[in-house]
Amino acid sequence: MSLDTVLGSIFTVAFIATIIRISTPLILPALGGLISELAGVINIALEGLMLVAAFLGVVVGAYSAQWFPGWPGWVYPWLGALAGILVSLVLAWLLAFVHLELGADIILAALAINILAQGGTVFVMFALTGDKGSTSTLASPALPNIVIPFVNRIPVLGVLFNAENMTGYNIMTYAALVLTVLVWFVLYRMPFGAHLRAVGENPEAAASVGINVRRVQYTAILLSGLLAALGGLNLSMGYLTIFQANMTAGRGFIALAAVYLGNRNPIGTVIAAVIFGAATALGAQMGTLNVPPQYIEMIPPFVTIAALVIYNLRRQAQLAANARKFQDKLEQEHGAG
Amino acid sequence: MTLSQKQKQYLMEFFRILAVILIALALGFLITLLVSEEPVQAFKELLTGPLPKISWTEAGLKIRGINRFGNWLEDSITLILVGLAVAVVFRAKQFSLGAEGQIYLGALAAGIISLHTSAPAFIHITLALLAAAGAGFVWGLIPGILKAYVNADEIVSTLMLNVIAVQIYRLLLIQWLRNPDYGYIATDFFPETAVLPLVIPGTRVTIALFLTIIAVVATWFLMTRTPLGYEIRVVGDNLKFARYGGINTRRVIALSMAVSGILAGLAGAHLSMGILKQLTLNISFGIGFEGIVVALLARNDPKAVPLAGLFYGYLRTGAQIMERSSDVTREVVLIIQAIIIILITAERVLPLIQQWRMRRKLPQELSADHSEAAHVA
Repeated sequence: MSLDTVLGSIFTVAFIATIIRISTPLILPALGGLISELAGVINIALEGLMLVAAFLGVVVGAYSAQWFPGWPGWVYPWLGALAGILVSLVLAWLLAFVHLELGADIILAALAINILAQGGTVFVMFALTGDKGSTSTLASPALPNIVIPFVNRIPVLGVLFNAENMTGYNIMTYAALVLTVLVWFVLYRMPFGAHLRAVGENPEAAASVGINVRRVQYTAILLSGLLAALGGLNLSMGYLTIFQANMTAGRGFIALAAVYLGNRNPIGTVIAAVIFGAATALGAQMGTLNVPPQYIEMIPPFVTIAALVIYNLRRQAQLAANARKFQDKLEQEHGAG
Repeated sequence: MTLSQKQKQYLMEFFRILAVILIALALGFLITLLVSEEPVQAFKELLTGPLPKISWTEAGLKIRGINRFGNWLEDSITLILVGLAVAVVFRAKQFSLGAEGQIYLGALAAGIISLHTSAPAFIHITLALLAAAGAGFVWGLIPGILKAYVNADEIVSTLMLNVIAVQIYRLLLIQWLRNPDYGYIATDFFPETAVLPLVIPGTRVTIALFLTIIAVVATWFLMTRTPLGYEIRVVGDNLKFARYGGINTRRVIALSMAVSGILAGLAGAHLSMGILKQLTLNISFGIGFEGIVVALLARNDPKAVPLAGLFYGYLRTGAQIMERSSDVTREVVLIIQAIIIILITAERVLPLIQQWRMRRKLPQELSADHSEAAHVA
């Protein structure tokens, strides 16, 4: 395939649909990472929490058809989703507990949770299916897609709002959209959000005005577990309808990078997650070119590192500018006095 | 003989870690009970598998399973080198997870020198090892500089650099180094002058064993007897104090990651020049991340790393044997590993237990004191 065809396929609405689909499982955990980061308890375990939720969603979704044979079919995927969310919350609580009550380093404890998720999912998958690679033997259900009515007849909007085959986006894509607004609202328009940010800025000061620091941090970690779980469920019950060993493939960490690149606010974080999604989608498109795939695989990590550097350089420049302003102000006052 | 305060502390720490290991193994066994039909057999394989079976027969002393014993030592060599690498950065309180990428590039550099130069064995091996160390150094220096001078989070940057390193490795292997006549993607076997000489026949335990011992001593010396080691420890203990004390903290942070890279690069050389004797598509299978548990078990102390590495290597080898001979997968070791990490880092567990015991004891003691006091009165 020539470069022209690739370029042609990039500047299409279908490509935007691809970016939206790839970005969803980045946006959700990124919002979770943002909440925990702002509360001063950075959650490195997003990756593992996504993985266990993805796994349990598939397994419980598949088995609930055997456990509750009489129930309507649409219930099963939701039972799976519920199980996935619950197990992610349990592990997030464990992380919060060992960090806040037992004094464990939150980074090391989170790395342990990731290892537990990676080993535990394969361990249980083998015990259940005899397969260490994927749950291909289980008939696992998908969470529904949402189709926007009427727009399908309009050429461009049809693809934009309902993806290439007019089958709609997964419900988690819409959840990501709603949650972005909700997270922004909670963080900047509700007392809890103010408390949370205060705790992250300066826990002693927050405690001195009567904020229960520990409870806020527990809540923040649990919320990040919830959001990571939704991202994991999107991977195994929407994007694909199967669980594969280690299928998160670093998304939890890219989500963390999105938090930094997005300047630690919800809108920026989501934009950053979409940029990472676009880089991945671009890589997939370029796969059709006669370029060794290794070059393409390097694009997302390279973009991530570049983003990390840009964020920090900007931050340093900001700090320097603030310091200069302060200095000027001092001199002015001095001169006037 | 009375123990000094320091020795007592070491002993306490040793027993604490021993307790952690026992608890983690017990929990691992409980989990195995849930899924296995032969949990006892499986755990017996896990815990005794790597040992050679020595038996007396009429023909004399007979040793079976020497290759399993060899697997244990080979794996432990990698784990000790990676454990040292992690211990150095963790001691500086830098959470670099870049060992995996450094292993790949170390193996790659060693492979290029092995295949594309020729020299007498001693020089050839030395050059290849230096190349591996250099590759690891550079791949550690990059995230080190990014952290020290731009404050880029080292967890994210090292994980991304791992992906890039693996892709560089594959790119060069597939486009340039591979022998297209093979049915699988791999280079030619290294010439004899570039293969590490064997030490224990019947295994793949090479002079990497001695190199690892040297690496342990060198790392211990670096950390306890040199200015850089002192600075790394101060930076790790208290960054602000180090800065006010006039230490160039940026240089120390960058160098701690680079030095760590040297050790991980050498682990890559061990894998390519000692174990595989060629470059294949996969060489490390994630062993770069196993250094974390080794470093934690050793409390980031270089001289304790060999013991921790041997222990964890034993568990990994046992798990492989268990997987072959029972219905339990080796991933149970990852679960045990996670439990170990959580228990070791949960620093307040022991004080909490002591507090709890005190609280239970206190009323009785108080009443005892009371009666004594009453007696005196």
